Amino acid sequence: MSATVAPTPAVAEAPKAAPTSVPRADRRATRWLTWLFLAPTLLGLGLFTMVPILGSILLAFFRWDIITSPQFVGLANFAELATDPTVRVSFLNTFGFVIIAVTLQLAVALFLALLVQSRMPAWLRTFFRSAFFFPLILSAASVSLVMAYLFNAEFGLVNQVLAAVNLPEVGWLTTPAGAIAVVILVYVWQNFGFTFLLFVGGLASIPRDVYEASSIDGATGWKQFRAITLPLLSPTVLVASVMAIISALQIFDQPYVLTRGGPGDATRTAVMVIFESAFQQLEFGRASAIGIVLTLIIIGVTALQFRLSRRFVFYS
Amino acid sequence: MDLSRRAVLGLAGLGAVGTALSAPRLIASDIPGRGDDVLTVAILGNAQDAAARASLVAAFNEVHPDIGVRIMPIQGQDWGNFFAKILTLVAAGTPPDVVVVATEGAQLFADRLAHPLDDFVKRDAADLKDYFEDVNPSLIESFMYEGSLYQLPIDFNAANVYYSSSALENAGLERPPDDWNHEDFLRYARAMGGASTGSFLPFFWTNRLWGGVVPWLYVNDTSFLAETTAPGGDWLWDTFYPGESGRSGGYRWLEPNADDPRVFESFDYLRTIVAEGLGSSPAQGGGGELVARFAQGQIGMTPAGGFWVQGLAEGGMSPTDYDVSFFPQWRGQRHQFGAAGYAMMSTSERKDEAWEWIKFCTTREGMQLAFPTPNTTPVRRSMCNESLYGEIGPAHWKVFYDTLDTLPSGPIPAPPQQAAVETALIKNVVGAVTAGSDAGVRSALGTLQRDLALALRRSA
Repeated sequence: MSATVAPTPAVAEAPKAAPTSVPRADRRATRWLTWLFLAPTLLGLGLFTMVPILGSILLAFFRWDIITSPQFVGLANFAELATDPTVRVSFLNTFGFVIIAVTLQLAVALFLALLVQSRMPAWLRTFFRSAFFFPLILSAASVSLVMAYLFNAEFGLVNQVLAAVNLPEVGWLTTPAGAIAVVILVYVWQNFGFTFLLFVGGLASIPRDVYEASSIDGATGWKQFRAITLPLLSPTVLVASVMAIISALQIFDQPYVLTRGGPGDATRTAVMVIFESAFQQLEFGRASAIGIVLTLIIIGVTALQFRLSRRFVFYS
Repeated sequence: MDLSRRAVLGLAGLGAVGTALSAPRLIASDIPGRGDDVLTVAILGNAQDAAARASLVAAFNEVHPDIGVRIMPIQGQDWGNFFAKILTLVAAGTPPDVVVVATEGAQLFADRLAHPLDDFVKRDAADLKDYFEDVNPSLIESFMYEGSLYQLPIDFNAANVYYSSSALENAGLERPPDDWNHEDFLRYARAMGGASTGSFLPFFWTNRLWGGVVPWLYVNDTSFLAETTAPGGDWLWDTFYPGESGRSGGYRWLEPNADDPRVFESFDYLRTIVAEGLGSSPAQGGGGELVARFAQGQIGMTPAGGFWVQGLAEGGMSPTDYDVSFFPQWRGQRHQFGAAGYAMMSTSERKDEAWEWIKFCTTREGMQLAFPTPNTTPVRRSMCNESLYGEIGPAHWKVFYDTLDTLPSGPIPAPPQQAAVETALIKNVVGAVTAGSDAGVRSALGTLQRDLALALRRSA
């Protein structure tokens, strides 16, 4: 049996709009206006972003202490990084921190977003949204100062509470494990709010009828989460993870205030070494070289994430 | 919206006029005093600290009405942070004329930023005779660098031991004698710890260059950097301290010394104190809670200098609540100190005016105006007196200056690469004093030795 398939009617071509002729003077004025409106932004970007970036790239090939004239040293600053134990440790610390902190940040934010999006009075939902976002608007330095008091080994509230319930006191900021844990805790506590809001928005955009249809098919709970929520939330997860990783790779405030990178080098991060090199040791070339390496790593990780996203991100 | 070319040009013109009118704000030239022909004096502090020097500036202007002075307060969490901001000013092309520099930055400034005062001091030797007679030579020597004098110190603080009177009394202890030693110190700490209840630490210390491990190294006749001295400076010693022998042209800290057995000995001693729960296990930096804890009786002993008297009074402590003694001796009893003074920037175009300011600040009148309360120790011994400390200070306030006059003393080790050196030190201290064994201490000191060598070599 053969079936005759009727030819698909060709889409009728829309009548071509008659070309409108814009007077040359008007076109020129529009161009002027465009550049006029763009000028402040371009000027700001140029002066405060592009010039420093270019200056930083240039500086990486010099030895400069602010006071004396810069000396061209070629790739020496980069070569020294490879053998510098502090730099190596700081990058390893940063990677370790990113893996743990970002995982925790995403997990906590997703868990709380799911809770808040579940059955809950509207006022309570609003309260939680505000409460979880609140730490983000605080100064990281202030938060870290308060946390340093709370986690003080001898007089801190946390150890006093532990002692009250007959648990051993912990050298929170004086042992490598304790210091790393506190830095991660403070960072995640302060930063999960933004990720949480992203997830709340993502969850709200998943159509209810998909869940209803899956319920009819017998899917509930974990199965729905795995088969519907996660795939449909995956674009949000991608954005959230990209932003979280970029931010975590640049961690500075919390370890600087809480531990100054110690004990030893346990909490010294890449940006801390940049700061110390430039503003304490007056080695601006070395600092710039580390900055460039970190920037390249951030670009590489972000590119990798987008490449991997082709496999894992589901755009409905 | 269609805009004519004329309108666009008009808008652009308006923008240009607006920018021109707001230019003084945009380039910050409307800040009072900026751009004026005045002597700019940078201090570590805030606007209140600058205001507190108004009387000093007024008194200076009575003597030098032709020299305008602008105090530029620069906030910083410590001296290193302050120096970084000064360097930023230098990089920006707006360096101050005069900067208050502490021992931590003395050699950095002398090496790269400051102008030697030798010619000025020689020229005005008669005016300065009274100052030098009143100031211990150790303080002067700490501001010599490669044979030249770069600063005239105005205040200092040595690390003495503050102790809580009640903690001492509860433990049935007498005031420690001047010649007590590190074993006595341990005995005192154990007795205080044994007699205490609740949250109490016999010894609290902070991990920083001043007052951290350095006092224990100095009394044990060692340091984490090898200390030598530069030749020169005879012009000063012969003129102002003719009876003084053995003075130099300044200190040199060129090599790491963390592998010295005495350094191990000192660190191991501190490890014992921490391991027994007698001393704090100091986080890096810290010390912010110290005044409150000491005032609340939660701390038995801690290293501090004359600067603490005012803070403790404000914290509610009466003079009988605490007292002060020398740091205990070990192989010796050399005390560490840090000092501060004004440095003249080599870039200054007002060097004569800067010198007049520096000179005025070393006069008795200048110092009395600068230090009306005991929140530091003035370098003039005649000013460390009953009127400064008698009312709110500890019973044995004379210890503050006697530390210099009766015992050997030296500045905290601060070569031009001080920031890198300090970072190397403090990051390895905690690992060493919290190590579980001798081997752990040796390992941490090995890392310290390596980090110090890198710091000294890289920034050289």
